[in-house]
Amino acid sequence: MTEPTHAQTGERMELISFRIGEQEFCVDIMSVREIRGWTPATPLPQSPGFVKGVINLRGAVLPIVDLAARMGLAMTEPSERHVIIVTRIGDQQVGLLVDAVCDIITIGGDAVQQTPDVACETVKTFVKGLLALEGRMISLISLEYVLPELRAEATGVELAA
Amino acid sequence: MDPLAAIKVTFFQECEEQLAELETGLLSMEGGDQDPEIVNAVFRAVHSIKGGAGAFSLEDLVRFSHVFETALDRIRSGAIEADQDAIKLLLRSADVLADHVRAARDGGTVDVGRSQAMAEALAALAEGDGSAETEEDTGDGFGEFEFKPVAFDMGEITAEPAPTSTTFNVRFYPQAALYQKANESALLLRELTRLGDIEVELDASGLPMLAELNPEDAYLGWTIAVTGETVTEAAVREVFEWVDGDCYLDIVQAGAAAALTPASEMSVDAMGGEVDVLALIRAAQEAEISPSPAVAISAPEPAKAKEQALDAKAQATAREASPQTIRVDLERVDRLIDLVGELVINQAMLAQRVAECGLQRASSVAVGLDDLEHLTREIQDSVMAIRAQPVKSVFQRFPRLVREIAAMTGKEVRLIMDGENTEVDKTVIERLSDPLTHMIRNAIDHGLEAPEDRVAAGKPREGVVRLAALHRSGRIVIEISDDGRGINRSRVKQIAVDKGLIAPDANLSDEEIDNLIFMAGFSTAATVSDISGRGVGMDVVRRSIQSLGGRINISSRPGQGSTFTLSLPLTLAVLDGMVVTVAGQTLVAPLTAIIESLQPKAADVRSLGPNAQVIAIRDSHVPLIDIGRSLGYRTVTPPPTEGVALLVEGEGGARAALMVDAIQGQRQVVIKSLEANYRPVPGIAAATILGDGRVALILDIDAVMVPKPHGAAATTSGADAVRPTAASDLPLAMAG
Repeated sequence: MTEPTHAQTGERMELISFRIGEQEFCVDIMSVREIRGWTPATPLPQSPGFVKGVINLRGAVLPIVDLAARMGLAMTEPSERHVIIVTRIGDQQVGLLVDAVCDIITIGGDAVQQTPDVACETVKTFVKGLLALEGRMISLISLEYVLPELRAEATGVELAA
Repeated sequence: MDPLAAIKVTFFQECEEQLAELETGLLSMEGGDQDPEIVNAVFRAVHSIKGGAGAFSLEDLVRFSHVFETALDRIRSGAIEADQDAIKLLLRSADVLADHVRAARDGGTVDVGRSQAMAEALAALAEGDGSAETEEDTGDGFGEFEFKPVAFDMGEITAEPAPTSTTFNVRFYPQAALYQKANESALLLRELTRLGDIEVELDASGLPMLAELNPEDAYLGWTIAVTGETVTEAAVREVFEWVDGDCYLDIVQAGAAAALTPASEMSVDAMGGEVDVLALIRAAQEAEISPSPAVAISAPEPAKAKEQALDAKAQATAREASPQTIRVDLERVDRLIDLVGELVINQAMLAQRVAECGLQRASSVAVGLDDLEHLTREIQDSVMAIRAQPVKSVFQRFPRLVREIAAMTGKEVRLIMDGENTEVDKTVIERLSDPLTHMIRNAIDHGLEAPEDRVAAGKPREGVVRLAALHRSGRIVIEISDDGRGINRSRVKQIAVDKGLIAPDANLSDEEIDNLIFMAGFSTAATVSDISGRGVGMDVVRRSIQSLGGRINISSRPGQGSTFTLSLPLTLAVLDGMVVTVAGQTLVAPLTAIIESLQPKAADVRSLGPNAQVIAIRDSHVPLIDIGRSLGYRTVTPPPTEGVALLVEGEGGARAALMVDAIQGQRQVVIKSLEANYRPVPGIAAATILGDGRVALILDIDAVMVPKPHGAAATTSGADAVRPTAASDLPLAMAG
C-alpha cells in the first residue's frame, strides 16, 4: 500500500472527502475508481451485515460495503441520494456506500495530524489521521483496514486454490 | 517486466510447443511412420530449444539438448537407424528434456542421475553405428548399406583354378519403388567398391526434359564393371539383395575381359549383348561426348528435385496441420468476453425498455433491435470460440504418464489417442488434466492385467488404453477405455457392503454396481498402491467433473475392459440455468443438476424429526430443503404446496427437493465470479447478470443440499465450515 508513505514523506496528496451522517471522512483519490449513484444490490446470503450485497459494474460483480455500518455507526438505509464510491483495494474492487461526496482536497502530507488517543477500537483501526480544514475535521480512512476480514479470507482462498 | 525477461517468457512458451512437437513426432515414428520430414521436425524442435537455451545461458538445458540433438542428427542423416528401442530411448529423453526446460523456467532441479544416464544412453546411441547396428540392418529391409561387411567364402574362390581377377558387368536400373523405400543408389555403388575396383557408367538416356521430369520417378541407370580377385556373383547379388524387385538388375561375368574362367552357364547371346553394350559405352567414353559431363550435372538433379518436392510436400502438410496463429494475452481475451457479455446484457435491457415503451413488434426500432440481437449473439459465439483450444494441450501429457506408469507397474501399455483437435474452452481443458490423469492411472493400474495374465487370457501382452475426444450435441465427450479385465462386480459389491455403502441384500443391476466405484470412500485397490491409491478415489474424479458441469459414466464388460465416458460443457463461461424466485430474490439453478420440477402435494410432504421435512417422490423419500431458509433469506418456511420443488441430484448421486417460490424460466447465463471482488459465499457457486442488469446468484446445489445445524448460518466462520473447499471446485471461469 502506498498510502502511508504519502503522509510520511510529506508529498502533496489528493483526497476525496465524503460524509456519513454528521461526520466527514476522506480517502486517497488514487484508490478511487469512480463514483456512482446507488442502485439496488443483490443481497448475499450469510454475509456480514455491513455487506449490502453485489451490483453489476459493467459486467463485473461488485460488492457494496455500508461504510457507516462497517465503522460501527448506524446502518444505512440506502436511497437514490446515496452514493457508491468504487475503490480499488489490492486486487479487488469494492464499492463503499456513503451519504454524499463533498469535495476533492489537496493537502501536503504534513497536514495530516495524528489520531487522538480515543478509547475506540474502530477509530484506531480505520482512522489513520485527521485533517483540519476550514474549521472542519476530516478523518483520513485507511482502506486496507476497512475490509480486513474480506481481504484476509480472500487471500486464504487464493492460497488454498 | 524487462525486455529480456519478456523474451524469456516467450522462449519457454515456445519450448512447450517444441516439446509437444517433439513428442508428437517421436510417437508417429514409434507408430512406424518413415517420413523423413518427421525426423526433421523432431530434430528442429530439439535444435530450437538448444538454440534458445544457449541465448539465455541455460547450461544444463544446452548440454542435454546438445546430446539429444547429436543423436537425432545421426538418425536424420541415416547414420544410425531409429528402431523401436532407439525411439523408446528418445521418448524418455524427451521427458528428461521437458524436465530440464521446466527446471530452467521454474528454477527447480532435475533428477541429475536420470538426466546423466539418459545423456550417456543418447551418446551411446549416437555412436552406436558399429557392429550392433549392422546386425539390425540385416534384420530388416530399410537398413543402411554403408560399411556393411559382406560375407563370402574365400576358400571356394581360391580353390578355383586361379584366375587373377574376375570382372562382373552389372546393369542396374533402379525403379521408383527403390527410392520410395528410402534406398539410395549411391550407397549401393559404394558398397560394390568393397568387392573390388569398379568402373561405373551412367546411363542418363532415360532422363526426360526437366519440364517433364517427375521428381518421384527414377530415370537413371548404371552399368558397373566390378573387377576383383575375390568377386563372385553371389557377393554382387548380395549387395543388391535389399532392392531386389525394385530395380532391373543384370549381373554377367565378363568372360572376355580378363579371366578365362569357364563360363559354361553363360549363353553366347548374352555374351554378345554384353560386348555390344560395353563397346557402345567405350565408344562414348572415347569420344568424350556430352553424356559424361551432362550426366555429372544432371545426376544429382533428380535426387535434389525429389528432396525439394518432399520438402514442399512436408511444408504443405505442416501448414495444413498448424494454421496461422497469433499469441494473445489471455487477459485480453477475457476482457473481450466480459465486454461482449456486457453487450448482450445491454442489448437485452434495451429490448426490455423498448418493449415497455409499447412499440409495435413490426416497428423499425423493434426490427433493428432484432438484428442487433442476432449480431450480439454471433459476436458472443465468435468470442467464445477464441478461448476454445484443442484438447491436445492436455492429451499430450499422457504419453509420458503412460510410459512412466507402465514402467512402474511392469505392464505393457499402448496409448491410442483420438480427436486431439476437438476444441473446448481453455478453462475446461485446464481442469480436465487432473481427473483424466487419475483415470488413466486407474485404467493402467486397475484395469489392465499384467502381461503374463493377459497372455494367459488369450490377449496380446500389450494392453491398450484409448483416449478419445469428440463433440456431441453441444458438449464435449471424452472416453477413456482399456482392454483390461473389466470391473470385478462381485468384488465391488462386496467392498461396498463391507464399507457400509450399500445394504448387504441390495439388489443392484450391473450398471448400478459399476457406478458404486464413484461413491465417496470407495477404493477397490486391495493394497494402496503408489500409483492410484492416494486416498482419493473415483468419487473425487466424479466430483471434479461435476464441478465442471459434467457427467461421468462407466460401462464395463468382464474380461474385455471398461470405458469411462465424460460429458462436459464446451465452456464454463456460460451455463444453462433455471431462473427461480425465492423470497423475492432471483436465483439461478444449474440445469445439469435438475432432474425435474414438481408441485408438491400436501399429502406427499412429511415431517421428519423436529425441523426436517421429506417429500415422497415415486415411492422414495428425499429431503425437502427450503432454499430461502437455507440461504438465510427468511426464517419461516412457507407451506410447500405454495411453491415449486426442484428435484436435484448432487455429487455422489444424492437427491434432494429444493423448494423455491416460482420458476421464471430457463436461460443461458454468463457466469461471473464472486471471488474476483469478494470471496466465496457458501451455497452460492457464482453470480450472473440478468437482462434487467441486476446481479443474480447461481446456486451451488451440492452446498445447499448439505444439511447444516440451524443458527450456524449467521456467523461467517460457521458458514464457511459448511463447505471449506468451495473455492477450489466452483466453475468460475470468467473472473470479472
